[in-house]
Amino acid sequence: MSRKMILRVPKFQEPKRMEKSEAQRLWLLLKDAIVEVQHMNASTLSFEELYRSSYSLVIAKRGDILYTGLEEVNNHHTKNLLDKIAQAVDERFLIELNSQWQQYKLQQIMIHDILMYLDRMYVKEPQLKVFDLGMFKWKQNVLIHSQINDRLVRMLLGLIHMERNGEVIDGALMKSLIQMYVDVSLKEKETYKQEFEERFLLATSHFYKSESNLFITNNSCGAYLKKVEIRLIEEEARIKQYLDESTGPKLIKACEDELIANHMQTMIEMETGCRTMIQNDRFNELKLMYRLFQRVENGLVHLKNEFAGYVRNEGHKIVNQPENLKDPNALITSLIEIRNRFEKTLSQSFANNRDFINSVNTAFESFLNENDKLSESLALFIDKKLRGGFKDSNDQEIDVIMNKVILLFRFLSDKDVFKKFYEHYLAKRLLSGRSFSEDLERTMISKFKQECGNQFTSKMEGMFTDMRLSKDALDGFKNYLQTSVEMGKLPKIDMSVRVLTQGFWPTFPPHSCTLPPLLSQYCDLFTKYYCHAHTGRRIIWQTNIGTAEVTFRLPKKTHVLALSTYQMLIMLLFNDAEKLSLKQMAAGTSISFMDIQRSVKPLYSGKYKVLKRTPAVEKSKELSENDIFELNLNLKCKLHRIKFAATSQTDSEPERQHTRQRVDEDRKIEIDAAIVRIMKSRKALIHNDLIVECTKQLSSRFVPQTSMIKKRIENLIEREYLERFPDDRRRYRYLA
Amino acid sequence: MSKNFVNYEKLSSDLNTLFSNPNEFADFEIEILDSTGKTTHNFSCNKSILSCRNDYFQALFRSKMKEFQESKVKFNDINGKSMEIILKYIYTGILEIDPENAIQTLIDSKKLLLEDPITIFLI
Repeated sequence: MSRKMILRVPKFQEPKRMEKSEAQRLWLLLKDAIVEVQHMNASTLSFEELYRSSYSLVIAKRGDILYTGLEEVNNHHTKNLLDKIAQAVDERFLIELNSQWQQYKLQQIMIHDILMYLDRMYVKEPQLKVFDLGMFKWKQNVLIHSQINDRLVRMLLGLIHMERNGEVIDGALMKSLIQMYVDVSLKEKETYKQEFEERFLLATSHFYKSESNLFITNNSCGAYLKKVEIRLIEEEARIKQYLDESTGPKLIKACEDELIANHMQTMIEMETGCRTMIQNDRFNELKLMYRLFQRVENGLVHLKNEFAGYVRNEGHKIVNQPENLKDPNALITSLIEIRNRFEKTLSQSFANNRDFINSVNTAFESFLNENDKLSESLALFIDKKLRGGFKDSNDQEIDVIMNKVILLFRFLSDKDVFKKFYEHYLAKRLLSGRSFSEDLERTMISKFKQECGNQFTSKMEGMFTDMRLSKDALDGFKNYLQTSVEMGKLPKIDMSVRVLTQGFWPTFPPHSCTLPPLLSQYCDLFTKYYCHAHTGRRIIWQTNIGTAEVTFRLPKKTHVLALSTYQMLIMLLFNDAEKLSLKQMAAGTSISFMDIQRSVKPLYSGKYKVLKRTPAVEKSKELSENDIFELNLNLKCKLHRIKFAATSQTDSEPERQHTRQRVDEDRKIEIDAAIVRIMKSRKALIHNDLIVECTKQLSSRFVPQTSMIKKRIENLIEREYLERFPDDRRRYRYLA
Repeated sequence: MSKNFVNYEKLSSDLNTLFSNPNEFADFEIEILDSTGKTTHNFSCNKSILSCRNDYFQALFRSKMKEFQESKVKFNDINGKSMEIILKYIYTGILEIDPENAIQTLIDSKKLLLEDPITIFLI
């Protein structure tokens, strides 16, 4: 603590008690001066003298005389002013009031200056400060007097009403008079709020209620939105121009309520409203709507729901359109188109609002999974693109399409079904050599990988590896043949083999057939070669997916037929027979009757008929095993090489069914794995929790059905991975 | 945040120079009279400094009364020595208390609403 200064204090003289008459004299002196000030004649007065007088009164403890005296003088003065002001008529009233008020304020500052010592040293709560006392007297005797207040507010509101109707008013006068309500408020602007603001807000609501109702019934939604925007800008300007800033938020809220909140439903539903705007891509109007709706509570929720509803509806139409159901390409193209369209709406009108994007995505999810066609359609779409559909696109366009594919893929709940189809078509592309570009194939796969991780694409990548290794194996085999002793005895054929690792490739339904002896020998040679090079491996011949080229000699011309292995086998039979029934074909090749049917069909019913049915039967599509075929020796075709489809359809229903079945099989395994994984970490779990947890874990790949999970749990209990708690059948325990 | 260069001491001493050697820019006179009405002290000051540093002078100028018109104020109830101390404080922010005169300075400065020194005195 600092050392206290020691002062030598002279004997302190108590100020002499002031005589009452002296006090009275000083007060009268001050009173005269105050009256002079009130008459704007202050320049001849001596500030020093007046200040000293008030100072003397205060230090002589006579401040009370001064304070009460001041109160009376103010009282008297303001009452006089009231009469003067109230007499003014019409517009003069506001001008008179304003000029008196401006003068009064200046006088009060001056009086406060003279009486500053009183103000600082004498006035104590709850007494009003000198200036506040002046304000209070004005308020009490002038402003809230019945002759003034109501008249003033009505005139102010009338002027504002006129201005809202496009007339020009005196902003400075408005500001001064409105500010008066703030100035005379002792705390928290209470006079302003009670006397002016409340009524102003009410009038505002009233004005905009009737204006908006009228305007919206007679104009389009777009015009109304523009009107609202202009109104809001005007009101913002009004706040700055002559209202107290504390009114700002309340005024804007009142306007927003009347202009926006009360009409939201109408703006959405009216004929020119939100729906039409979305339908017709009126981005600017929607943008304005978004901006305005954003201002009111729950506004965006309405807009968002409407938009999402529209998206869902459009999507629903597309995925259920009969033409689209038949044509996967058209379906996916339309989906990409609407996705592009809605993305444009989102970015141009809805500021890419997260909630909007999410709800559009939810809508996509819901309609994309409405039927189970989509997984396959998407896989087929990509298949078509990768078979050459990308031929005319540049890298950037390809990337855009691929990204859209990924986007749609993301919405699929059964990604595993898609995966199966994708693998299926990929396999077909690779095996039939129809893939347009390995680079593009790999790009597409890398995108899936990014999206779903390694596990998702490991098989697809395996297929590519197999293709590469097969090429090496085949080169090796050719070298081997040249050095092989047996080779000399065999006629030379050009055989190509692809070695497919089991597991990477879709399992093709096993079929058997009898190969011609020569081919069979070649196959044996390859098996011998391959198993020698890779000990421990086993080769299973998958003859049903192979292709062959066969020379077809006609009396006048020779053609090369590009056939499937089965078709080749069938055609080869005709080397030794003129006519064959289907039954005989099946017997001669050991191919199942159904495959015979499917293989023969393109040969006799396509554009170029190498087989003909005898006797010719028109229109009878169903083939029976006793139908007889012979070679069509009258084939007329300019092409040297004729290509035949392997089967009559791209994909038959049984094949599709098969793919589905395999998906189900895979799902069982996935569910089993998920359950075991969960139980291993949690040890014990209630049934419902297990279902929830399991669904959650698998949701990135597919949405498992609860009934299926239940079955798997039962199965795992049987296999003694889990057991039920004896006392609580709803709980499971993991058995290590 | 920007770093400011501050030198209050120089500011204070420059203002002290202004107060001690009033030049042609002085625009206001403070005259001290004794009880007989004889002038004992005369200070030449700057209105702008007085009004921005002290509420009393600010009010005096703002009211635009006689003193403002004449650019002069006369005090007959304030001690000349006190006035010098007070003015010096107003100009420089330095209060040089003379123990001999302390109480009188306190009374005078209170009249002129010099808030700060009172606080200092009372500590």
